[in-house]
Amino acid sequence: MEITDFSQPIRQSAKGIIVIFAFNLLKFFKKFVVFFIAFGIQVIRKKSFGGVTPTMIYLGLIAMLVLILIIAILKYFNFKFHLSKDDFHLATGIINKDNIIIPKSKIQNVYIKQNFLQQIINVVSVKIETAGDKKSEIEISALDKRTALLLKKKLFNKTTSISGELEQVESIEEPEVFFKVTPKRLFLEGLSQNHFKSFLLIITFSYGLYSELKDFLKELDLEKHVDGLVELDEATILNLIITNVIIVIGVVLISFLFSIVKTFIINFNLEVVEHQKTIEINKGLFNKVSLSLTPSRIQNLVITTNRVKQYFGLHSLSVKQAMVNVKQQKNFNIVALEKEQLNYLVNKLISNYSEDQGEIAKPRPYFMRITTLEMLVFGSVINGLSLAIFGIEMLWINAVFIPVAALYIYFAYKKAYYKISENFVTIGSGVIDTTTNILEIHKIQGVKLKQTIFQRPRDIASLVISTASKSVTIPYISKSEALIIYDFLLYKVESQDRDWM
Amino acid sequence: MNFTNPQIQTEDLPNIEDVVLKPISKSYLKIITLNRLAFYSLILGAVFGLKYLIKEDGFQDNFWLVFIGVIVICIANFIISILAFKKRKYAVRGYDVIYAKGLIIHSIITVPISRIQHVEESRSWLARHLGLSTLKIFTAGEAGSDLSIKGLQQLEAKGINDFISAKVNGNN
Repeated sequence: MEITDFSQPIRQSAKGIIVIFAFNLLKFFKKFVVFFIAFGIQVIRKKSFGGVTPTMIYLGLIAMLVLILIIAILKYFNFKFHLSKDDFHLATGIINKDNIIIPKSKIQNVYIKQNFLQQIINVVSVKIETAGDKKSEIEISALDKRTALLLKKKLFNKTTSISGELEQVESIEEPEVFFKVTPKRLFLEGLSQNHFKSFLLIITFSYGLYSELKDFLKELDLEKHVDGLVELDEATILNLIITNVIIVIGVVLISFLFSIVKTFIINFNLEVVEHQKTIEINKGLFNKVSLSLTPSRIQNLVITTNRVKQYFGLHSLSVKQAMVNVKQQKNFNIVALEKEQLNYLVNKLISNYSEDQGEIAKPRPYFMRITTLEMLVFGSVINGLSLAIFGIEMLWINAVFIPVAALYIYFAYKKAYYKISENFVTIGSGVIDTTTNILEIHKIQGVKLKQTIFQRPRDIASLVISTASKSVTIPYISKSEALIIYDFLLYKVESQDRDWM
Repeated sequence: MNFTNPQIQTEDLPNIEDVVLKPISKSYLKIITLNRLAFYSLILGAVFGLKYLIKEDGFQDNFWLVFIGVIVICIANFIISILAFKKRKYAVRGYDVIYAKGLIIHSIITVPISRIQHVEESRSWLARHLGLSTLKIFTAGEAGSDLSIKGLQQLEAKGINDFISAKVNGNN
């Protein structure tokens, strides 16, 4: 069933009932699963509990299922949407009727998503997002793909007069697939990721598992066995070292695998399609996502890479929009880009950006002092902890810690820079990763100068620049410089009458 | 073609340092004092509560030390908040609103009026008795650029509110 006329109120595809039903069922179980298991086991064990028999439990469950199904059906019948000239209209609600109207010009994003269930029954969901808070999101959970695409196109066309023109142009210029990731590059991307996170995750997980199992192991009387085995002659010490090394290698391998699998699932078949004015990203294995980026809606661009990735020519570009929730924010990541592709995309998303504009300036060396101070605090915490837990001989970790800390300080300072040009602010940062933050000056929402009481005698200050999507900081520059930038940015924002979205 | 692209002399730009920032109303000091005192009495109450809950000797013997420590911290905190009061200043220019605050971490925030989404004037029970109001200025997106100017004279707050509202509406 394909719908082409959106001017009359229509329902979504009937398969929507299945999607709504499954979704509500999942939500219901998530909330009550603990309760059900606890209560159910009680009842089944004792045959009855407070006058409730197992049969009643089963009946209750079936009744719940039927109720959820009925709600799903009612929801389906009470969900109608249509398009008028400038607005999107939606009527929902079984008992409390809601009528939602969104002006087309305020729509920030239209996603097309397809989760596992939707892939099976061959429908997609369309999500419409404005820059407001999370509640203003609208999801149409079941449409066939062609209808969804058409709806998306109509939502982005603002008025009829322009739409005619646009459609013409688009029919002439076939959208071309600008970038398609190959499995090899995806593999490299996963491999060269910052593994610290997965490493820590696995360590905490196995530690948690270990402490859970500890009591169990004690019961098995393993302790005596182990005590018997650990007689400190040289051979066993060697054995111990080998076991430890194997464990560490194992954990490292697992975290590599973890990162790679994660990268593959999220970015499977990543594709960047170039349209006349927008850029479309398609990706995902279990959860297929398709989203469009409109340049005027973009607030910040963040480019990330690291040493290893640079070697393989891998760059990620993350696009920040106003008030997008964290879960969605992750979808705006394009990974495994070549340098030229990256530059092209950046130029497409914010016009006239060039890396050479403006002078590169660095924070004052005071930056290093603060970082050193941070490292000292961190180091003393680590030392204190290891002393308290493992005793005096654990002080050797300083042999590892001090060089790492020194490198940390060195790289953090080396990679920190800022650049103010006519229309853009570029800020570099990072330690392991190299992060570049780009924002357009006319999208700034507010500027803040920060100076602590200790920085005043040294004439040092930090500058925080906020856009609608995030705040970036130019750390520890001289106050006079900070004031010049402050005045310049304000002048730029206030003198030109440009919209921020 | 009458497109010109004059060079901008950064020295000639409107300078934030030249702006004369206005201090907020002196009566707000009373609110700060009252709020702080209420807060400290809560904390001291909690400390006394602990004295009756924890029966361990180590704590009981050193109770007065703990108590004096807490009092010293409270007094230091109080002095800092009184001194920081003088740092709370604001100004409204033709195109933006400026607010400065903080003793230990001093910050000056400027929000261009064209970026303001809405303005709110709120008055607590205490502020109503002293004829004060708080002006909250909201921009889009992250909380980082929102302003909340506390302790304005009610008329002043209303005036700023009207000015900003007129400007914001005029722009659209």
